[in-house]
Amino acid sequence: MSRATPPVIACQNVWQVFGPNAKAALADALARSGGDPQAAAGLLGAAGLIPAVQDATFEVGEGELFVIMGLSGSGKSTLVRCIAQLLEGTSGEISIEGENVVGAGKQRLTRLRREKMGMVFQHFGLFPHMTVAENVAYPLRVQGVDRKRRRARAQEVITLVGLQGREGAYPRELSGGQRQRVGIARSLAVNPGIWFLDEPFSALDPLIRRQLQDEFLNIQGKLRKSIIFITHDIAEALKLADRIAIMRDGRIVQIGTPTDIVLRPVDDYVREFSRDVPKGRHARVASVMQPTDRCRPGPDDPGLRQGMTLDVALARCMDLYEPVPVWDDRGACVGAVNPADLAAALQVEDT
Amino acid sequence: MTAAHGRPARAMAAPGVRAALVALLAGALCLALAPRFAWLGQWPDAWTLPLTQWAGTAVTWLLEAIKPLAREFSALMRHPMDWANLALHATPWPITIGVTAALGWYLGGFAMAALGAVGLGFVVASGYWTESMNTLALVAVSVPLALVVGGAIGILANEMPRLKPPVQALLDVMQTVPTFAYLTPLMLLFGFGPVVGLIASAIYAAPPMARNVLLALERVDPEIREAAVMSGATRAQQLFQVEIPSGASQIMVGVNQCLMAALSMVIIAAVIGGFNDIGWEVLLTMRKAQFGQSLLAGLVIVVFAVVIDRYSGTLAGERRRHDRRVVYLLLALSVVLTALFWSSLADAATFHVLTPVAEAVDRSLTAFTIANGATLDAIKNNAMFFGLLPLRIGLDQAVLPFTWGFAWTGTMSWALFAVAAVLCLLLIWRGRPAAGLMAMIAAGMLETGIADLPWPFVLIGTAALGWVAAGWRLALLSLVLLSSILLSGLFGRALMSLYLSGAAVFACALVGGAVGWLAAVSPLAWRLVRPLCDMLQTIPLFVFLIPVLMFFQIGEFSAFLAICAYAVVPMIRYTRHGLVSTPPDLIEAAAASGATDAQIMRDIRVPYAAPTILLGLNQTILYAFAMLVIAALIGTTGLGQSIYLALGQADVGLGVSAGAAMAILALLADRIVQGFAAERRRALGL
Ligand SMILES: Nc1ncnc2c1ncn2[C@@H]1O[C@H](COP(=O)(O)OP(=O)(O)OP(=O)(O)O)[C@@H](O)[C@H]1O
Ligand SMILES: [Mg+2]
Repeated sequence: MSRATPPVIACQNVWQVFGPNAKAALADALARSGGDPQAAAGLLGAAGLIPAVQDATFEVGEGELFVIMGLSGSGKSTLVRCIAQLLEGTSGEISIEGENVVGAGKQRLTRLRREKMGMVFQHFGLFPHMTVAENVAYPLRVQGVDRKRRRARAQEVITLVGLQGREGAYPRELSGGQRQRVGIARSLAVNPGIWFLDEPFSALDPLIRRQLQDEFLNIQGKLRKSIIFITHDIAEALKLADRIAIMRDGRIVQIGTPTDIVLRPVDDYVREFSRDVPKGRHARVASVMQPTDRCRPGPDDPGLRQGMTLDVALARCMDLYEPVPVWDDRGACVGAVNPADLAAALQVEDT
Repeated sequence: MTAAHGRPARAMAAPGVRAALVALLAGALCLALAPRFAWLGQWPDAWTLPLTQWAGTAVTWLLEAIKPLAREFSALMRHPMDWANLALHATPWPITIGVTAALGWYLGGFAMAALGAVGLGFVVASGYWTESMNTLALVAVSVPLALVVGGAIGILANEMPRLKPPVQALLDVMQTVPTFAYLTPLMLLFGFGPVVGLIASAIYAAPPMARNVLLALERVDPEIREAAVMSGATRAQQLFQVEIPSGASQIMVGVNQCLMAALSMVIIAAVIGGFNDIGWEVLLTMRKAQFGQSLLAGLVIVVFAVVIDRYSGTLAGERRRHDRRVVYLLLALSVVLTALFWSSLADAATFHVLTPVAEAVDRSLTAFTIANGATLDAIKNNAMFFGLLPLRIGLDQAVLPFTWGFAWTGTMSWALFAVAAVLCLLLIWRGRPAAGLMAMIAAGMLETGIADLPWPFVLIGTAALGWVAAGWRLALLSLVLLSSILLSGLFGRALMSLYLSGAAVFACALVGGAVGWLAAVSPLAWRLVRPLCDMLQTIPLFVFLIPVLMFFQIGEFSAFLAICAYAVVPMIRYTRHGLVSTPPDLIEAAAASGATDAQIMRDIRVPYAAPTILLGLNQTILYAFAMLVIAALIGTTGLGQSIYLALGQADVGLGVSAGAAMAILALLADRIVQGFAAERRRALGL
């Protein structure tokens, strides 16, 4: 994926090791393993430390929705906590909008959080002694925004997440779905450019989850924020993501678009994730397309487009055996697809 | 049990067995060699260091150094005390009652309002209004002080994690040092007068506040903490806008404990006299053997304790809103009534409605004790001759023709040891060597008497126990601390204290365990026992002395009873709680395996409850030590008595050393039992 704008978040070899003297232990382990992260992590583990995030390197572009996925305990929350500087990070570089934040002073971090970052927590993290409106307005209150402006802005975001009418309720009086809406509203109160969401929908039942996912996409469509979204649900990841990073035991094993993950898993761990995913619904024609110079539409041209899912494409060329051209949105021919390849791509999981 | 049976070799190597063996050997050696080397039995006076004097000199020097500052402070504290006194005394009593009832309504609705009104009504009727207001004024000033100091300590420890261990240790010490021990140095610092009581109660009441604030802050959900950080709050904003308010209910538990501790200490501080409060009244009437009056004054204290406890208890729970208008109504009503009857409003101090009742109680009590004197004496003497005395000085000295009907001879000692040895072998054969060795040790201790235990045995035995409970660090600590008592020459008295509290703890464990068990199996029993437990835990220690004195006069047996009455409650509570909270699926699994109720109790519920019961025992021990010192007022020997004497003679050295010795005993007992509880918890995978 090529981007014109510089990355909003950039992580370079980020490590988070838990345990006594983590910094020295990590440096030592890296030296002893000759800089091989996996071997170093093994050494650290053997020494009784926990390498929760190992050598994470990735970038998140402007307006991109970047999903981190992995099993429970794979280090997703830890990685995001490092980026938000809730944890110090044992080594590595993290920059936000081009500014290095590792080792930043308290004041700079506070300013950064007040102006640029919002975060939604896995278990909501609502303040039990504040009403919905007070919770949502809290990030404004700490900045000294006066009561009236605070209320007005809180009302705006509360309406955005559809909670109008419950402003005076306390968190304990709300359902799980409503609580998470409060969390989302609070993280949006200062209108941050960067948005962290740590498994925001995991604690909710499937119906509410689907509803909130749709609303989330809706909100993102309007606000276009740069987002890191954590989940352990592949369907959620595929539905929301521009790109997905898959973590395993602290390591990022693959970064790619949803199609990459589904059609070109790098190893069995990733393949296992996408096993039950209906690939035809997530992979796009572009992923199996080949360059071609024969772009003459036949009389029975099915009119395939780059962005079509494999399911739709396959349905259109069920009885064709010759390669068929693929068109982009403007009607130009961009390549060709062999229908046999379409079918083969969907078969991957059975092998 | 059966598992151990199959592996005798491994069982023999268990730490418990090795420790018991070491202790047994030490004891046996001491017994065998004591006739030859007298220094083995009793630590020779010549070997003691004048630690007590040194402590006295050092503390006095320190106190003299900060005395000017203290006197300044004392003068400063006079002002709020005068204000509180003025406010409480100048307010006509109907208004005080009205305000109390209104506050009760605000806090907890009708029940609390009624409790407050009836309670204070009783105080007015008792004629102890003036004294009560004096006490209340002290509490009113010391509590805010304790809250601020305690809160600050808690916050500080939370902000600087490195300070946590020393602060925890300091709080432990502050709470284990007996209450009286504070008073002597404070008296030197602040002179006689209410300020001493004020400071003592602030010192005594601050630790629970600090603990609860720290606990509340530690327990804040990490996500809530992080949410505040991500909102861009500064540290101060996080603390005061998010962490403290979200931990409010735990902090309110601290406020409640702080209030109760302050009240308790203010009443204890009455022994130094001079501020005409309700505690002093109890003491005075008790000394004059006017038990009716002293009971009345004691009840006034109980009323205050209950009202303060229940009122502040509502702060910690989920609170419902009660109609505010009632508050205004109650206030207005009291003002109107006062205005209407202003001219005929009697001074609360002149009420003596209950005096005839008290006198009647006194008379009937005298009649009762005279009529049943023989029975009471018999109870007391039997308990002394067949229980306490042998425990104290051993069978070899306690068994006399005059009491037991025969004299103890050397042959009998050998017979006792032989029986114990047989029992020991039997137990070893059954695969329980530790229990067998303990039986031997118990026989030896019974023969010798706790007060006459040879010091090497006490040191080695305690260290061995500490080693089994929590490893060599505790063993070392107990050796060092006990040696310091030994060197200071207070060892004999420490043993006396150990004997009395040990006897009381033993009795409490039996009775409390049984009652707790009963309350666990029968909900009805718990319904009956529970209010009694609540009551006993609310009453300031001092009041326990009154009823025992009424029936058994001054002496060790009365002290023993008072200690038991106070210390039995945790044992009951924790035993019941442990037994009741066995996970239902475990019980169902056992029932499905065909176990009877008794088997379920023995094999599932008791082992599962063991850690909790041990914690109860731990509390019981600490309670017993706390009460032991108070019981010195009615005649005990030992450290408690030393502390009390030191107070009378303003002997700082003795007071501080005896207080420290007492704290050492409590600390060691606490650590050892906690160690066992932790071990049990680990074994159960909790
Ligand atoms: N403060 C900490 N101290 C020590 N270990 C930690 C700490 N926080 C996390 N860990 C460890 O780091 C690893 C990764 O934890 P993390 O919370 O990042 O997992 P996660 O991927 O977010 O899982 P989940 O889906 O369950 O939230 C785990 O093994 C965890 O035990
Ligand atoms: Mg997580």
